[in-house]
Amino acid sequence: MKSRVNVVKWPFRSPVRQLSTTPWSHQASDGGLEIGTKSVTTSPARGSRARSTHVALDTSLCDVSPSVKSWREVPGPKPLPLLGNTWRFTPYIGGYSVEHIDKVCLSLREQYGDCVKITGLLGRPDMLFVFDASEVERVFRGEDAAPHRPSMPSLNYYKHTLRKDFFGAEENCAGVIAVHGESWAAFRTKVSRVALSAGAAAQYTVPVAQVADAFVERVRDIRNENLETPDDFLNEVHKWSLESLGLIALDTRLGCFEAQEESESMRLIHAVQTFFLSVGELELRAPWWRLYPTTMFKKYCAALDTILSVTLRHVEKALKECELNGGSKSLLQDLVAAAGPRVAAVAALDLFLVGIDTTSNAVASILYQLSLRPAVQDRLYEEINNVLQDKPMKPGDVNHMPYLKACVKEVMRMYPVVIGNGRQLSKDTIICGYQIPKGTQVIFQHYVMGNSDDNFSNARDFRPERWMYRSSTQKHHAFASLPFGYGKRMCLGRRFAELEIHTVICKMVQAFKMEYHHKPMDYHIHPMYTPNGPIRLKLIER
Amino acid sequence: MLRNIVKNITAKSLRAVGKNNGLPPSLSHQRSLASVSKTELALKAEKVKVTFVLKDGKRLETEAKVGDTLLDVVVNNDLNIEGYGACEGTLTCSTCHVFLKQSDYDRLPEEPCDEERDMLDLAYGLTDTSRLGCQITLTKDLDGLEIQVPETINDARN
Repeated sequence: MKSRVNVVKWPFRSPVRQLSTTPWSHQASDGGLEIGTKSVTTSPARGSRARSTHVALDTSLCDVSPSVKSWREVPGPKPLPLLGNTWRFTPYIGGYSVEHIDKVCLSLREQYGDCVKITGLLGRPDMLFVFDASEVERVFRGEDAAPHRPSMPSLNYYKHTLRKDFFGAEENCAGVIAVHGESWAAFRTKVSRVALSAGAAAQYTVPVAQVADAFVERVRDIRNENLETPDDFLNEVHKWSLESLGLIALDTRLGCFEAQEESESMRLIHAVQTFFLSVGELELRAPWWRLYPTTMFKKYCAALDTILSVTLRHVEKALKECELNGGSKSLLQDLVAAAGPRVAAVAALDLFLVGIDTTSNAVASILYQLSLRPAVQDRLYEEINNVLQDKPMKPGDVNHMPYLKACVKEVMRMYPVVIGNGRQLSKDTIICGYQIPKGTQVIFQHYVMGNSDDNFSNARDFRPERWMYRSSTQKHHAFASLPFGYGKRMCLGRRFAELEIHTVICKMVQAFKMEYHHKPMDYHIHPMYTPNGPIRLKLIER
Repeated sequence: MLRNIVKNITAKSLRAVGKNNGLPPSLSHQRSLASVSKTELALKAEKVKVTFVLKDGKRLETEAKVGDTLLDVVVNNDLNIEGYGACEGTLTCSTCHVFLKQSDYDRLPEEPCDEERDMLDLAYGLTDTSRLGCQITLTKDLDGLEIQVPETINDARN
């Protein structure tokens, strides 16, 4: 029987590929250009960093060959009649726990190989889990103009059904999250030039640093008698994240650390919290809300309404400022000027929906990982002090902190806040030697790939240096770890998230020696990939 | 309430920026958006000569405005380089990857920033003199610049 086919290795796969440093001699002769073809260990532009010079793909990989296998032959857990595969995620019976999809994915790879088919999921399209970084690279490189990124059916419903009066009132104004095709592409173009250019975040350096300072003060105050952070530390990190994002998306200090009940900030904080709490339930559990509006779903929609109305009010304010000043001085004003108030409001809404808990869970995870590694902290401390020299942070400072950036990348490699990224195929595509039909959801398993020795030498070791100095003897597959994605659908908030994360980690390391004296924490999906347990860091003044 | 706010905004303010909002939704339109050069104001912009050497040896010689990026040049002159500049210069892909001569690489006024380096790491067939075309702004000194466009995955497929 075909379904018994187990780990099928694609005939074209060559183990040499990932480390291939084949010189492109023909290019040098073709164009008459002097092109470096040898792998080097130092960066041509700056001594501190080397680039990988491997030619990532073997051309033979792309040949369409008669040996391509059919979709039916892709290995994977067999769906039961009627029940499909959804039952496997039932607590106690199924063996696949939603909270521990990370471990499920590891074992799926072990059992079935580099690509695994999951069919028969109730209410969802068939899925293909991909564990081969070179295949991820190939899918990303072959992307068309408007890649389809599956996300959040509940938000899809909110935008396109429940509030279609608003999101559909104007052409191409539904945003980027849960929107696809031309409508997505037109919106994205309007926003991305403002939000993603290399210097987009620099103007926020000083205010973001001020929020980070306020956060440091706050955690200093709320430490208990053992100098440890309280059990709800993550919540404080959420407040920091919301405060930073308010600054960037709405030009406003929301005052999250000291907000009064009944204030607009507090309503926004509550709404954002409600959104987080319910989105995981609505997306990961059985989708009852599709049948009738559950209490959870009603709360969820009310929270979205609140966030939208607050963002709209701030956009209106920004618009007035714009008219008064004649020029724009912030992301929000830039967006209003470039694309209109509605686009600006929806962009701000999307930033709030996906830009808060991702950033805060990343920061919590990084702080926890650093607290386990005093030597790394010491090196960071030295680097930071050398750059800042007791002066306040200014734009460009973090660019002189390569070790800080490398530490962040290394934590995101080992513990990516979003463990996988996905695409819904817009055309039939060959992946791992199988013909995968259009419409399949392909999930790139970055958590598994980032922690695999196939892609990173000594993947179990926390070694930030791997991001600073590359050598041809070390494995480093650039497409295995992509915390912000790649290409046309890369995270729109990336520049801001990076600025926020680098700044707050910098400030925390500068202020405290961080230690952790409790049982080591495992990670779980909640719905971000985050340490499972109270993050009780001992913060000792530097 | 929500609807009122929406109406309010629509009525009062959309008019002000209506020009930008009335864009047709077609994908081809993005292309023309991308072609807006950064130096539109300089009407009598200085021109330099730039040559793109494609993988198959074909040479695309073109005139370019000082102040434009190499991506602007490709888009504004409708140069037929498949898949070039997919993200429209927002540093989220590496499809505008080019190879430079070492001497040209060294004399570029600006080193790659961290954002560009992150994307170069993901470029196909990276070399020591690789840059992203969207980050190279033409100066008068660069007149006669010759750039090699590397093979893309699409070439490999054919």
